[in-house]
Amino acid sequence: MIYHTLLFVLTAVFALWAVMARKLLTSAIMLALVSITVSLIFFDFGAPWAGVFELSVCAGLITVLFIGAVSLIRDHDEKRPENRSRFHALPLAAAIFAIAAWFYLPAFFEELAGWARVGNGGGTIGLALWEMRRPDLLGQVLMLAAGVFMIKSIFPRRTQK
Amino acid sequence: MNVFALDWYLIALIMFIGFYCMLASRSIVRQLVGLEIVSKAAMLALISAGALTNNLVYAQAILITMIVIEVVVVATGLALLVKNFRLHGAADIWNLDSLKG
Amino acid sequence: MDKGLLAYLLIPLFTAVLIPFIARNRPRLADIFANVTLLAGLVNLLWLALRPSVIAGGFADIPGDALSLLLVAAVYLVGLCVTFFSAYFMEEGLPNRQAYYSLILTSIAAMTGVVTTGDFFTLYVFIEVLAVTSFALITTDDSAGGIEGAIKYFFLTFPASALIMVGIAIFMISLGSLSFDSLRVYMSSDMPDGPVVFASALIMLGFLIKSGVVPFHAWTPDAYQGSYAPVSAHLAGIVTKISGVYAVVKLATLLRFFDGRAQALSELVMFLGLLSIAVGAIAALRQTSFKRMLAFSSISQVGYIVLAAGLGTPLAIMGAVFHLINHATFKTTLFLNSASLEKAAGTTDMDKLGGMEHAMPWTSWTSVIALLSTAGVPPLSGFWSKLLIILALWESGLKTYAVLALLFSIVTLAYFMIMQRKVFFGRKSPAAERSSEVSAPLLAPAVLMCGVIVALGLLFPYFYQYVKVVAERIIL
Repeated sequence: MIYHTLLFVLTAVFALWAVMARKLLTSAIMLALVSITVSLIFFDFGAPWAGVFELSVCAGLITVLFIGAVSLIRDHDEKRPENRSRFHALPLAAAIFAIAAWFYLPAFFEELAGWARVGNGGGTIGLALWEMRRPDLLGQVLMLAAGVFMIKSIFPRRTQK
Repeated sequence: MNVFALDWYLIALIMFIGFYCMLASRSIVRQLVGLEIVSKAAMLALISAGALTNNLVYAQAILITMIVIEVVVVATGLALLVKNFRLHGAADIWNLDSLKG
Repeated sequence: MDKGLLAYLLIPLFTAVLIPFIARNRPRLADIFANVTLLAGLVNLLWLALRPSVIAGGFADIPGDALSLLLVAAVYLVGLCVTFFSAYFMEEGLPNRQAYYSLILTSIAAMTGVVTTGDFFTLYVFIEVLAVTSFALITTDDSAGGIEGAIKYFFLTFPASALIMVGIAIFMISLGSLSFDSLRVYMSSDMPDGPVVFASALIMLGFLIKSGVVPFHAWTPDAYQGSYAPVSAHLAGIVTKISGVYAVVKLATLLRFFDGRAQALSELVMFLGLLSIAVGAIAALRQTSFKRMLAFSSISQVGYIVLAAGLGTPLAIMGAVFHLINHATFKTTLFLNSASLEKAAGTTDMDKLGGMEHAMPWTSWTSVIALLSTAGVPPLSGFWSKLLIILALWESGLKTYAVLALLFSIVTLAYFMIMQRKVFFGRKSPAAERSSEVSAPLLAPAVLMCGVIVALGLLFPYFYQYVKVVAERIIL
């Protein structure tokens, strides 16, 4: 219970850090830490498959992509830093939100939990994907195709110029 | 208070941070960071809902698809950023104002 | 998933994957493959829906819920017009020609997925695919406006996706399932609505943002104006309608707005619909760019569909579905004509154009037909759909809404008249002196669409029968 809640709090802290960080590179690394804590939460819930995917894809691949893009535009960003006053206001805004929401949201969510319809929870992940979510697999294939064509279209190979 | 309500309270907080980042920042990279945080919060909401209803297998099946989608979406965002940077040398949103009306 | 229509998803995907390999050295092959695929699909769909025996049977033999078939046909029709137009519009030697056609075909496959699915999460997956293809398509020609439009679109659609995901999570808790049918069954039972309606409201909000209804319309004009010219027709004609408006209509029928469940949500949706009719029409009055004016007009027309969906009575749903189809026909015509203008005169700024009628008579007259249909002038198809919507509003006692909808229909006519006078009629401008009519293949899609507009208007009784079947099947 404490470990579980601690992971959620850590996620929030890393998210805050990622937003507040002055350097974009720090932001990208904090984002990776957010992903890692999220995947630990998945493991803690007993969802190892989602955890593994999150760890390898989000914490790994997306971080690499982010760092690549950031290193490309870093010089530009350091020359013209953006106005940071709005980011310094974030902890205050988050604290106000947290305190105000404390009175309403937990009660609301507790009521929501009262509406839960408990399922049977059987089966394995592979069967669930194949039996119940087959159209999603088609959607994934389509998404990957769209991603490839998107890269081909945005960065075409210029043969004749 | 039960665990579920506390979890969702913290999820709401994380989502608030993400949306704040998207509203406050002008840099495209930081907007993407905000987007990532928001979508992480949505994922946590989903897995927490699955745990509450004893439907973890189903929730995982959905999450795996979501993660695949997220990668392609982030790659698209970064590709747009890099192309914009190459063509105009800028990474700010508010520098984009050639379209007005 | 509607299994009967699965082939309309798989075949474009297959062609899209094939094109980069086949057309590597011969770019023209990409045009041919894309066009043939879409034409074959369209012919097949027409065969399914318009056989004499099916028409004589009052369309009772149509498989599935009939709405998917109709929308798949609309997707293929607009897609065919756009690819045919692009084949002659695109500059030779554009480096991403093959990728362009692959993306169009992928987006058509994704739209087919959106309209045939029966599950909220699958809907979400296909809509994300559609969004990714749209960004890449918008930036096809590397223009500054294109990237700006794509980035604005990007940062407004994905927060909407997060709202949809939270809604789906709450569905998992309170509904125990994500299929459309379970929501329909739940809403028609006597169970208290509680969190189910709250989750639906979140999802509805997400789709309203994606369809560019007024408080969330910031991205729409930029994306339409900045995008590559034929892509703006694709985007305005069908993509944003399928990715946003279709889901709003579907959700409205699932939530049974007509029998007073989810009253507050229904009223909110109707209000936003009316607001976007008004704001879109008024903003369109004072635009100087042709494409931007069309974009605001598109917001206004989407308002009619959302208004009807929010009302949710069978007659209103019929009007909404019919207007969705009409919107696809007339907006595609107008945006393709704006692309022709751009090619011939080099600009779409209305102050610099004038008297284009003498130079481009065909473009001028197809625009007239399309804009009269948009404004709802009988006997064109747009008249009937607006009539259905206004009648439905009047019938449910919402007389203020009905009168306002009628009034803004006249404003629509006004701004289109202003546009037509500035661009096509009147004194010949230097731009008109320089330019001449575009070639026949570029005119063919607009002429085809005008034919559809006139045919749907004149053969309205048959189409009414079809839409009635749709309304009966999706509401009951």
